[in-house]
Amino acid sequence: MEPGDSTKQARAAAQLRKGVLEYCVLALMRDRPRYGVELLHALEESGALATSQGTVYPLLSRLRRDDLVTTTWQESASGPPRRYYALTDSGRAALDEFTRVWPGFRNAVDAFLNTPHPSTGDLA
Amino acid sequence: MKTSADLVRDYLSAVERETSALPADRRQELLADLAEHVEVTRAERPDAAIGEVLAELGDPRTIAATALAEAGSGAAGVPARGDAGAPARRGKVHPLVPLLMLTLSVPFIMVFPYLPGPLFGVLFRITGAVLLCTSVHWTAVQKTTGVLLTVVLPTVLFTTWNLANGNTSSAAPTVVSTLANLAVLVPIAGTAAWLWRVRRA
Repeated sequence: MEPGDSTKQARAAAQLRKGVLEYCVLALMRDRPRYGVELLHALEESGALATSQGTVYPLLSRLRRDDLVTTTWQESASGPPRRYYALTDSGRAALDEFTRVWPGFRNAVDAFLNTPHPSTGDLA
Repeated sequence: MKTSADLVRDYLSAVERETSALPADRRQELLADLAEHVEVTRAERPDAAIGEVLAELGDPRTIAATALAEAGSGAAGVPARGDAGAPARRGKVHPLVPLLMLTLSVPFIMVFPYLPGPLFGVLFRITGAVLLCTSVHWTAVQKTTGVLLTVVLPTVLFTTWNLANGNTSSAAPTVVSTLANLAVLVPIAGTAAWLWRVRRA
């Protein structure tokens, strides 16, 4: 069964978002460890999360397996103990690298999107 | 009328059903994460209805599809519905099996230096290499590196060692041969540890 064009586009958009989402997650841990619900709230409020909240947990699981984050259990004054996620050294390195590369990538894409007829000569 | 506990249990059961193709430990982790999410959210927002909390968490099928995609079971992203059995079938041999066979072949020869000990050691190594190469847990480059460092290198070293020392003393364990075996074990164990770390589920 071939997916329709709209499905393909939705999937492409989802793939794009997914690729960037993990760096948003890493960026949220830049200053301090965060627990799952806290991360999801921040993502949802920012609008970076297009899918449902629950899909972030498999992502966090992969980040942990890839040794980009570590987890620790911490007791809470209210409610159950929480699993806190913190950046590892390689997680911080990955985030720094993405932070370095992203502006150039974003500007390049913007340039394509904002130029209706790409000029082969000098830009005015 | 279903209670909150029923709704949460139904929800988690649905996730469990949809993730049957996931390795058991991965599935348990996901279920524990979701259960914790529900508990923490309810502690933080006591007024929120459980249905609302679960709705925000999302459709169990969407979460399961993401988990399967993250686990690398579908090369082209989310696997199509209906072939959920495929990843489970392909990843049948646990990644520890080839790694242990490759690593333990050396201590095995050290413990049983007389025939047929070394023969079994060689068989272990060959079986380990085959399982490593047919496994879904590593890329082709990782497999090649693994075979070179855990099979080819030790075989070359052992052969050289045996040729250099002649056949007379080859079977009897000496301090020197024990040290040589341990020296060969280091790169094998190191490679196995590396393969374990870089494996994909």
